Amino acid sequence: MENRPLEYDYTVTKMFMLTTIILGIVGMLIGVVLAFQMAYPELNLVLGEGLAEYTNFSRLRPLHTDAVIFGFTLSGIFSTWYYVGQRVLKVSMAESGFLMFIGKLHFWLYLVGVAAVVVSLFLGITTSKEYAEFEWPIDIAIVVVWVLFGISIFGLIGIRREKSLYISIWYYIATFLGIAMLYLFNNMEIPTILGESAAGESGIGAWYHSVSMYAGTNDAMVQWWYGHNAVAFGFTVPIVAMIYYFLPKESGQAIYSYKLSLLSFWGLMFVYLWAGGHHLLYSTVPDWVQTMGSIFSVILILPSWGSAINMLLTMKGEWQQVAASPLIKFMILASTFYMFSTLEGPIQAIKSVNAIAHFTDWIVGHVHDGTLGWVGFMIMAALFHMAPRVFKREIYSKSLMATQFWIQTLGIVLYFTSMWIAGITQGMMWRAHDEFGNLAYSFIDTVTILHPYYTIRGVGGLLYLVGFLMFSYNIYKTMSARPVEESELQSASPMGA
Amino acid sequence: MDIAELQAYGYFALTVILVVFLYTYIYHLYTKRKDADGHDYEDYGNIALKDDIGDAPVSPMSDDKEK
Amino acid sequence: MFHWLEKHPFFFAVGVFLTVAFAGLVTILPNFAQSSRPVIGTAPYSTLELAGRHVYIKNSCNACHSQLVRPFKSETDRYGHYSLSGEYAYDRPFLWGSKRTGPDLMRVGNYRTTDWHENHMKDPSGVVPGSIMPAYRWMFTNAADIDTAFAEQLTVAQFFSVPYNKPVPMRDGSTMVVKMGSSLADANVLALAEAKVIVEDMKDQDVKDAVANGKIPEIVALIAYLNSLK
Repeated sequence: MENRPLEYDYTVTKMFMLTTIILGIVGMLIGVVLAFQMAYPELNLVLGEGLAEYTNFSRLRPLHTDAVIFGFTLSGIFSTWYYVGQRVLKVSMAESGFLMFIGKLHFWLYLVGVAAVVVSLFLGITTSKEYAEFEWPIDIAIVVVWVLFGISIFGLIGIRREKSLYISIWYYIATFLGIAMLYLFNNMEIPTILGESAAGESGIGAWYHSVSMYAGTNDAMVQWWYGHNAVAFGFTVPIVAMIYYFLPKESGQAIYSYKLSLLSFWGLMFVYLWAGGHHLLYSTVPDWVQTMGSIFSVILILPSWGSAINMLLTMKGEWQQVAASPLIKFMILASTFYMFSTLEGPIQAIKSVNAIAHFTDWIVGHVHDGTLGWVGFMIMAALFHMAPRVFKREIYSKSLMATQFWIQTLGIVLYFTSMWIAGITQGMMWRAHDEFGNLAYSFIDTVTILHPYYTIRGVGGLLYLVGFLMFSYNIYKTMSARPVEESELQSASPMGA
Repeated sequence: MDIAELQAYGYFALTVILVVFLYTYIYHLYTKRKDADGHDYEDYGNIALKDDIGDAPVSPMSDDKEK
Repeated sequence: MFHWLEKHPFFFAVGVFLTVAFAGLVTILPNFAQSSRPVIGTAPYSTLELAGRHVYIKNSCNACHSQLVRPFKSETDRYGHYSLSGEYAYDRPFLWGSKRTGPDLMRVGNYRTTDWHENHMKDPSGVVPGSIMPAYRWMFTNAADIDTAFAEQLTVAQFFSVPYNKPVPMRDGSTMVVKMGSSLADANVLALAEAKVIVEDMKDQDVKDAVANGKIPEIVALIAYLNSLK
């Protein structure tokens, strides 16, 4: 012990890397099944009539969103936190037995929570609120997991050697605080076992069932304040944290402008929260909430692009690296998709555009631009960068990585182009009137016409899944690839053929 | 004055305050260029690059004691 | 001030939190009382309807069907009057949905019948050729959870003063009373009475037999709920 130099301890990072990969495969696989179910409804009976209840689109749909959000993405966030956090604060988890314990507890409780979510969603136990489907016992477990994450963040910060907090740490802190607030308020609910009948009975019915504290329009406002900002603090803020660390580190170039990164941070924090109203345009929420949702969504372009441009300019003068390294390709395409979806979102939030786009597949397409292109690519890039360092081995195959990049990029392009066409077609058909002022199409006409686009989307999703399996295989093989020396691990990650 | 009016004034006032705050911050960053410890902001970009446990911190915790 | 914040993570965190929380406070809180007032003609759900609503939620019907008619001619032509905030006063949770893979269901009770739903849930593409909706045949055998629906009625009556067993004003000037059982056994009796009215219009012999034997399949509760959407 005495003579061994202090090293960063990546035990918890590795644990969360494992769940990132496994839950990523599960979530994306379910997504592909869902996509093909919409093109070929017979697939709802893929495991036979007896299991139809569990292979049905309606049961799988929340499982898909929750597996990729709370499984894949959240694991990715945790895993990078336990890596980046130590490094930029220059303190090792090995230095604190307490933080090591918290980290491991964090992982195991998280795993218990994931198992409970999977079982309950298959059984149809859900509150129906998107990305907040869990009933109160699971909500409590999630809060505990989140508090442990918080203890680990502030614990590491408390024993740091680097006095100034790197910009990534700011974003991780914001993730923690933002999600904590949103989740708590949106999931305010009363367990129905508390209800007492006139005859004095209580504890009636399912013990896990609860009823929302908010009704109707209020519930919708709280839900979309949550839903929109869960995207902010789950899909944007922590992913920005990742790219601000991994892109400079991998390319050996410091952030183009640190000052700009600070500005964008505060801009994003302030503006993002107002934009939730754009999910409720033309609904029964007050007009001013809708208008503000629209306006702030457009303003949101500024801080988002502030970050994105900062990332791209970081590569200034070093663009040959993009051509040379597939790992940098992933990150540059991720920031490009970030720019793309943060432009597309505000366009959809404009009231007149939203009138067509809302309730259609264009929204689904928009979400997947962000998640597949930005979140997925960045998390995979982060894992590719971390793998050689946590396993002390070179990445198994560079060519596999490059192939994966192109397959997945093609998948995303197929996905969003087909959903654009599908969404706009459907939106226009719903509102079309004939010369006498009658509706031009019955609803079913607007469904059958989408079949080819649903098929293309399914293929796009499948390509992405294939790429993800290649990624998983590559990481798996990395664990037994050629060992590398510490000195080879400065910036660019070592890669095998 | 009903709640909606209060809301509107509250919203307007706070927006103005935040806008002022943001622009002061921009002005502060680009005129001062250095933070309270005398480090150029852009130096902090190096935190990510020199992040081995043996590397010297850009702004060590012990800075306070030396001053 | 900025220099100081940079060096104090705790106050920095407080700053982030205030910035983030501010929008929520201003946007959401002040409208609570106003939006939750029911419009005339909106009544709370009966035990069977609520059990049906749980079936709707359990099977994520809201993943593909909205319950929100927007104020456009094309939507009012297709689905009926546009939605009013007070119509949702008893919806916990709200079920507006975010995607219309299938049509809106806000007022489906106005133009679809028990018989139609029965056939459609068994074989959607048989009723609407080209439909991509899956069949929900297990609803014809699974039993509806009346107990939990009753527990929810008790909870909302107790915590949110939802007017069960009290007169509720209707559009024609009359009043109606939505009954809630005084005990669990009483609630089951009320639900069964409602179920019997629904199955009169149904054809499935197994479902009819089940209700005759005092059991309520999920499909009966679901149809009761869908018929109540007007």
